[in-house]
Amino acid sequence: MERNPLRRQLQMMRKSFFDQGYLDDQFVQLEELQDEANPNFVEEVVTLYYRDSSRLILSIEQALERKPFDFNKLDAYMHQFKGSSSSIGAKKVKAESTLFREYCKSGNKEGCMRCFQQLKKEYATLRKKLEAYFQLARQAGPMETACRPK
Amino acid sequence: MIQENVWISTNSLDFAQSMTLLLRFQIQSYIQRTMYSHGTSGEQSNYYSRSRGLRVLLVDDDEINRMVTKKMLEKLGCEVTAVSTGFECLSAFSHAENSFRVVVLDLHMPEIYGFEVATRIRKFRSCNWPLIIALTASTEDNVQKRCVQIGMNAVLQKPVLLQAMAAELQRILHRAKPL
Repeated sequence: MERNPLRRQLQMMRKSFFDQGYLDDQFVQLEELQDEANPNFVEEVVTLYYRDSSRLILSIEQALERKPFDFNKLDAYMHQFKGSSSSIGAKKVKAESTLFREYCKSGNKEGCMRCFQQLKKEYATLRKKLEAYFQLARQAGPMETACRPK
Repeated sequence: MIQENVWISTNSLDFAQSMTLLLRFQIQSYIQRTMYSHGTSGEQSNYYSRSRGLRVLLVDDDEINRMVTKKMLEKLGCEVTAVSTGFECLSAFSHAENSFRVVVLDLHMPEIYGFEVATRIRKFRSCNWPLIIALTASTEDNVQKRCVQIGMNAVLQKPVLLQAMAAELQRILHRAKPL
Protein backbone atom coordinates (compact mmCIF):
# COMPACT_ATOMS: atom_id res chain seq x y z
CA MET A 1 0.00 0.00 0.00
CA GLU A 2 1.50 3.30 -1.07
CA ARG A 3 2.08 5.53 1.95
CA ASN A 4 3.10 8.72 0.26
CA PRO A 5 -0.12 10.57 -0.61
CA LEU A 6 1.36 12.07 -3.75
CA ARG A 7 2.43 8.62 -4.90
CA ARG A 8 -1.07 7.34 -4.20
CA GLN A 9 -2.52 10.16 -6.25
CA LEU A 10 -0.07 9.34 -9.01
CA GLN A 11 -1.06 5.69 -8.99
CA MET A 12 -4.73 6.60 -9.19
CA MET A 13 -4.08 8.99 -12.05
CA ARG A 14 -2.16 6.30 -13.88
CA LYS A 15 -4.90 3.75 -13.31
CA SER A 16 -7.51 6.13 -14.69
CA PHE A 17 -5.58 6.43 -17.94
CA PHE A 18 -5.92 2.69 -18.45
CA ASP A 19 -9.47 2.42 -17.14
CA GLN A 20 -10.65 5.21 -19.40
CA GLY A 21 -8.86 3.80 -22.42
CA TYR A 22 -6.35 6.57 -22.99
CA LEU A 23 -3.38 4.23 -22.68
CA ASP A 24 -2.79 0.58 -23.39
CA ASP A 25 -0.18 -2.07 -22.51
CA GLN A 26 2.45 -0.48 -24.67
CA PHE A 27 2.75 2.28 -22.06
CA VAL A 28 3.49 -0.39 -19.47
CA GLN A 29 6.18 -1.64 -21.83
CA LEU A 30 7.84 1.79 -21.68
CA GLU A 31 7.66 1.72 -17.90
CA GLU A 32 9.35 -1.69 -17.95
CA LEU A 33 12.21 -0.21 -19.94
CA GLN A 34 12.79 2.61 -17.45
CA ASP A 35 15.67 1.91 -15.09
CA GLU A 36 18.54 3.55 -13.18
CA ALA A 37 20.42 4.12 -16.44
CA ASN A 38 17.41 5.95 -17.88
CA PRO A 39 15.29 7.07 -14.92
CA ASN A 40 13.14 9.40 -17.04
CA PHE A 41 12.78 7.14 -20.02
CA VAL A 42 8.99 7.24 -20.23
CA GLU A 43 8.83 11.00 -20.07
CA GLU A 44 11.62 11.30 -22.64
CA VAL A 45 9.85 9.05 -25.11
CA VAL A 46 6.52 10.83 -24.64
CA THR A 47 8.18 14.23 -25.06
CA LEU A 48 9.88 13.06 -28.22
CA TYR A 49 6.62 11.66 -29.50
CA TYR A 50 4.80 14.98 -29.08
CA ARG A 51 7.65 16.85 -30.69
CA ASP A 52 7.96 14.57 -33.72
CA SER A 53 4.29 13.92 -34.25
CA SER A 54 3.36 17.61 -34.17
CA ARG A 55 5.23 17.93 -37.46
CA LEU A 56 3.24 15.07 -38.90
CA ILE A 57 -0.02 16.61 -37.73
CA LEU A 58 0.92 19.80 -39.54
CA SER A 59 1.77 17.89 -42.73
CA ILE A 60 -1.55 16.10 -42.59
CA GLU A 61 -3.39 19.37 -42.01
CA GLN A 62 -1.71 20.91 -45.05
CA ALA A 63 -2.41 17.83 -47.15
CA LEU A 64 -6.10 17.99 -46.19
CA GLU A 65 -6.31 21.51 -47.57
CA ARG A 66 -4.70 20.67 -50.87
CA LYS A 67 -6.70 20.03 -54.00
CA PRO A 68 -6.93 17.44 -55.37
CA PHE A 69 -6.96 15.26 -52.30
CA ASP A 70 -4.04 12.85 -52.20
CA PHE A 71 -5.33 9.86 -50.25
CA ASN A 72 -2.10 7.91 -50.71
CA LYS A 73 -0.01 10.64 -49.20
CA LEU A 74 -2.45 11.09 -46.32
CA ASP A 75 -2.42 7.37 -45.69
CA ALA A 76 1.37 7.32 -45.66
CA TYR A 77 1.53 10.14 -43.12
CA MET A 78 -1.07 8.46 -40.97
CA HIS A 79 0.74 5.12 -41.16
CA GLN A 80 3.77 6.79 -39.65
CA PHE A 81 1.71 8.68 -37.07
CA LYS A 82 -0.10 5.52 -36.07
CA GLY A 83 3.23 3.74 -35.61
CA SER A 84 4.63 6.23 -33.15
CA SER A 85 1.32 6.64 -31.33
CA SER A 86 1.20 2.90 -30.97
CA SER A 87 4.71 2.83 -29.50
CA ILE A 88 3.75 5.03 -26.58
CA GLY A 89 0.48 3.21 -25.97
CA ALA A 90 -1.79 6.07 -27.05
CA LYS A 91 -4.89 3.92 -27.39
CA LYS A 92 -7.56 6.44 -28.45
CA VAL A 93 -5.20 8.28 -30.77
CA LYS A 94 -4.25 4.99 -32.37
CA ALA A 95 -7.93 4.07 -32.87
CA GLU A 96 -8.59 7.37 -34.64
CA SER A 97 -5.52 6.80 -36.83
CA THR A 98 -6.86 3.40 -37.88
CA LEU A 99 -10.22 4.93 -38.72
CA PHE A 100 -8.57 7.69 -40.71
CA ARG A 101 -6.66 5.13 -42.78
CA GLU A 102 -9.88 3.29 -43.52
CA TYR A 103 -11.43 6.51 -44.78
CA CYS A 104 -8.37 7.05 -46.96
CA LYS A 105 -8.65 3.57 -48.40
CA SER A 106 -12.32 4.07 -49.23
CA GLY A 107 -11.63 7.57 -50.60
CA ASN A 108 -13.93 9.26 -48.11
CA LYS A 109 -12.85 12.88 -47.88
CA GLU A 110 -15.54 13.94 -45.39
CA GLY A 111 -14.75 10.99 -43.20
CA CYS A 112 -11.06 11.88 -43.20
CA MET A 113 -11.70 15.45 -42.19
CA ARG A 114 -14.14 14.60 -39.42
CA CYS A 115 -11.89 11.85 -38.12
CA PHE A 116 -8.88 14.12 -38.12
CA GLN A 117 -10.68 16.69 -35.94
CA GLN A 118 -11.48 13.96 -33.43
CA LEU A 119 -7.91 12.68 -33.61
CA LYS A 120 -6.51 16.10 -32.78
CA LYS A 121 -8.85 16.33 -29.78
CA GLU A 122 -7.70 12.98 -28.42
CA TYR A 123 -4.08 13.84 -29.10
CA ALA A 124 -4.36 17.13 -27.17
CA THR A 125 -6.30 15.57 -24.29
CA LEU A 126 -3.70 12.86 -23.82
CA ARG A 127 -0.92 15.38 -23.92
CA LYS A 128 -2.50 17.41 -21.09
CA LYS A 129 -3.07 14.31 -19.00
CA LEU A 130 0.47 13.04 -19.44
CA GLU A 131 1.98 16.44 -18.74
CA ALA A 132 0.05 16.60 -15.46
CA TYR A 133 1.13 13.04 -14.68
CA PHE A 134 4.85 13.70 -15.19
CA GLN A 135 4.64 16.92 -13.23
CA LEU A 136 3.06 15.09 -10.31
CA ALA A 137 5.67 12.34 -10.61
CA ARG A 138 8.41 14.92 -10.21
CA GLN A 139 6.69 16.36 -7.13
CA ALA A 140 6.15 12.94 -5.63
CA GLY A 141 9.88 12.25 -5.84
CA PRO A 142 11.74 9.04 -6.56
CA MET A 143 10.07 5.73 -5.76
CA GLU A 144 11.12 4.07 -2.51
CA THR A 145 12.49 0.61 -3.08
CA ALA A 146 10.30 -2.12 -1.66
CA CYS A 147 11.70 -3.97 1.32
CA ARG A 148 11.19 -7.64 0.71
CA PRO A 149 11.18 -10.03 3.62
CA LYS A 150 14.29 -12.21 3.59
CA MET B 1 8.93 -13.90 13.12
CA ILE B 2 6.31 -11.35 12.26
CA GLN B 3 7.56 -8.40 10.31
CA GLU B 4 5.79 -5.10 10.75
CA ASN B 5 6.40 -3.65 7.35
CA VAL B 6 6.01 -6.50 4.98
CA TRP B 7 5.67 -5.36 1.39
CA ILE B 8 3.83 -7.80 -0.72
CA SER B 9 4.53 -6.78 -4.24
CA THR B 10 1.57 -7.11 -6.52
CA ASN B 11 3.29 -4.75 -8.84
CA SER B 12 3.44 -6.36 -12.24
CA LEU B 13 6.48 -4.23 -13.04
CA ASP B 14 8.57 -6.11 -10.50
CA PHE B 15 7.60 -9.39 -12.07
CA ALA B 16 8.41 -8.06 -15.53
CA GLN B 17 11.77 -6.84 -14.32
CA SER B 18 12.66 -10.23 -12.86
CA MET B 19 11.63 -11.92 -16.08
CA THR B 20 13.78 -9.50 -18.07
CA LEU B 21 16.81 -10.26 -15.93
CA LEU B 22 16.24 -13.96 -16.34
CA LEU B 23 15.90 -13.69 -20.10
CA ARG B 24 18.95 -11.47 -20.25
CA PHE B 25 21.06 -14.07 -18.46
CA GLN B 26 19.76 -16.77 -20.75
CA ILE B 27 20.66 -14.78 -23.84
CA GLN B 28 24.10 -13.99 -22.46
CA SER B 29 24.73 -17.66 -21.84
CA TYR B 30 23.73 -18.48 -25.41
CA ILE B 31 26.18 -15.88 -26.64
CA GLN B 32 28.92 -17.46 -24.60
CA ARG B 33 28.07 -20.95 -25.72
CA THR B 34 27.56 -20.34 -29.42
CA MET B 35 30.27 -17.80 -29.98
CA TYR B 36 33.06 -18.46 -27.55
CA SER B 37 33.18 -22.19 -28.04
CA HIS B 38 33.72 -22.05 -31.77
CA GLY B 39 36.71 -21.06 -33.79
CA THR B 40 37.20 -17.61 -35.17
CA SER B 41 37.35 -18.45 -38.90
CA GLY B 42 38.90 -15.27 -40.19
CA GLU B 43 37.55 -12.83 -37.64
CA GLN B 44 39.79 -11.16 -35.07
CA SER B 45 40.16 -13.50 -32.11
CA ASN B 46 40.19 -10.68 -29.58
CA TYR B 47 36.83 -9.38 -30.84
CA TYR B 48 35.05 -11.89 -28.63
CA SER B 49 36.96 -11.03 -25.47
CA ARG B 50 36.31 -7.31 -26.00
CA SER B 51 32.64 -7.79 -26.80
CA ARG B 52 30.39 -6.90 -23.88
CA GLY B 53 27.27 -8.24 -25.44
CA LEU B 54 25.52 -9.29 -28.57
CA ARG B 55 26.27 -6.73 -31.27
CA VAL B 56 23.07 -5.60 -32.87
CA LEU B 57 22.39 -3.18 -35.69
CA LEU B 58 18.97 -1.56 -35.45
CA VAL B 59 17.46 -0.02 -38.55
CA ASP B 60 14.30 2.06 -38.16
CA ASP B 61 13.43 5.45 -39.62
CA ASP B 62 11.03 6.39 -36.82
CA GLU B 63 12.84 8.15 -34.00
CA ILE B 64 10.46 7.04 -31.25
CA ASN B 65 10.45 3.41 -32.33
CA ARG B 66 14.22 3.50 -32.62
CA MET B 67 14.56 4.84 -29.09
CA VAL B 68 12.20 2.27 -27.61
CA THR B 69 13.58 -0.75 -29.50
CA LYS B 70 17.16 0.26 -28.73
CA LYS B 71 16.41 0.47 -25.03
CA MET B 72 14.65 -2.86 -25.21
CA LEU B 73 17.65 -4.55 -26.81
CA GLU B 74 20.05 -2.94 -24.36
CA LYS B 75 17.92 -4.21 -21.51
CA LEU B 76 18.46 -7.69 -22.94
CA GLY B 77 22.22 -7.21 -22.86
CA CYS B 78 22.82 -6.17 -26.45
CA GLU B 79 25.30 -3.63 -27.69
CA VAL B 80 23.19 -1.61 -30.08
CA THR B 81 24.07 0.62 -33.01
CA ALA B 82 21.01 2.40 -34.31
CA VAL B 83 20.67 3.85 -37.80
CA SER B 84 17.74 5.49 -39.47
CA THR B 85 18.07 4.58 -43.12
CA GLY B 86 18.67 1.54 -45.25
CA PHE B 87 21.70 3.27 -46.73
CA GLU B 88 23.31 3.81 -43.34
CA CYS B 89 22.64 0.16 -42.59
CA LEU B 90 24.44 -1.06 -45.69
CA SER B 91 27.37 1.27 -45.17
CA ALA B 92 27.68 0.00 -41.58
CA PHE B 93 28.21 -3.44 -43.11
CA SER B 94 30.94 -2.33 -45.43
CA HIS B 95 33.15 -1.53 -42.45
CA ALA B 96 35.06 -4.66 -41.57
CA GLU B 97 35.33 -3.88 -37.87
CA ASN B 98 31.58 -3.70 -37.41
CA SER B 99 30.69 -7.34 -37.02
CA PHE B 100 27.02 -7.33 -36.21
CA ARG B 101 25.52 -10.63 -35.16
CA VAL B 102 21.95 -9.51 -35.48
CA VAL B 103 20.19 -6.91 -37.57
CA VAL B 104 16.79 -5.71 -36.37
CA LEU B 105 15.15 -4.21 -39.39
CA ASP B 106 11.96 -2.22 -39.79
CA LEU B 107 10.37 -3.26 -43.05
CA HIS B 108 8.56 -0.03 -43.81
CA MET B 109 11.13 2.62 -44.46
CA PRO B 110 11.08 5.18 -47.23
CA GLU B 111 13.84 5.46 -49.89
CA ILE B 112 14.95 1.91 -49.62
CA TYR B 113 12.53 -0.63 -48.25
CA GLY B 114 13.38 -3.14 -45.61
CA PHE B 115 13.11 -6.08 -48.01
CA GLU B 116 15.66 -4.50 -50.30
CA VAL B 117 18.03 -3.90 -47.40
CA ALA B 118 17.72 -7.48 -46.20
CA THR B 119 18.36 -8.83 -49.70
CA ARG B 120 21.50 -6.77 -49.97
CA ILE B 121 22.73 -7.84 -46.53
CA ARG B 122 22.33 -11.46 -47.57
CA LYS B 123 24.31 -10.72 -50.75
CA PHE B 124 27.14 -9.12 -48.76
CA ARG B 125 27.28 -11.93 -46.30
CA SER B 126 26.10 -15.16 -47.75
CA CYS B 127 26.89 -17.18 -44.66
CA ASN B 128 24.46 -17.47 -41.76
CA TRP B 129 25.46 -14.26 -39.99
CA PRO B 130 24.12 -11.77 -39.33
CA LEU B 131 20.77 -13.00 -38.18
CA ILE B 132 17.95 -10.76 -39.34
CA ILE B 133 14.86 -9.92 -37.33
CA ALA B 134 12.19 -8.05 -39.28
CA LEU B 135 9.77 -5.66 -37.62
CA THR B 136 6.46 -5.07 -39.29
CA ALA B 137 3.11 -3.50 -38.50
CA SER B 138 1.54 -5.69 -41.16
CA THR B 139 -0.44 -8.81 -40.27
CA GLU B 140 -0.48 -10.13 -43.83
CA ASP B 141 0.72 -13.65 -44.49
CA ASN B 142 2.65 -12.75 -47.61
CA VAL B 143 4.92 -10.48 -45.56
CA GLN B 144 5.93 -13.46 -43.45
CA LYS B 145 6.47 -15.59 -46.57
CA ARG B 146 8.55 -12.96 -48.27
CA CYS B 147 10.72 -12.57 -45.17
CA VAL B 148 11.46 -16.28 -45.18
CA GLN B 149 12.23 -16.23 -48.92
CA ILE B 150 14.75 -13.42 -48.52
CA GLY B 151 16.44 -15.30 -45.71
CA MET B 152 15.32 -13.43 -42.62
CA ASN B 153 15.39 -15.38 -39.40
CA ALA B 154 12.40 -13.93 -37.54
CA VAL B 155 9.47 -11.59 -37.97
CA LEU B 156 8.03 -9.55 -35.10
CA GLN B 157 4.76 -7.70 -35.03
CA LYS B 158 4.87 -4.04 -34.07
CA PRO B 159 4.55 -2.64 -31.48
CA VAL B 160 7.22 -4.95 -30.16
CA LEU B 161 7.02 -6.34 -26.65
CA LEU B 162 10.13 -6.98 -24.60
CA GLN B 163 9.14 -10.59 -23.95
CA ALA B 164 8.58 -11.21 -27.66
CA MET B 165 11.94 -9.73 -28.64
CA ALA B 166 13.70 -11.75 -25.97
CA ALA B 167 11.99 -14.96 -27.07
CA GLU B 168 12.86 -14.45 -30.73
CA LEU B 169 16.49 -13.56 -30.00
CA GLN B 170 16.83 -16.67 -27.88
CA ARG B 171 15.20 -18.83 -30.53
CA ILE B 172 17.32 -17.66 -33.46
CA LEU B 173 20.58 -17.70 -31.49
CA HIS B 174 19.83 -21.22 -30.35
CA ARG B 175 19.16 -22.40 -33.90
CA ALA B 176 21.99 -20.46 -35.53
CA LYS B 177 24.74 -22.47 -37.11
CA PRO B 178 28.22 -21.92 -35.67
CA LEU B 179 30.65 -19.68 -37.50
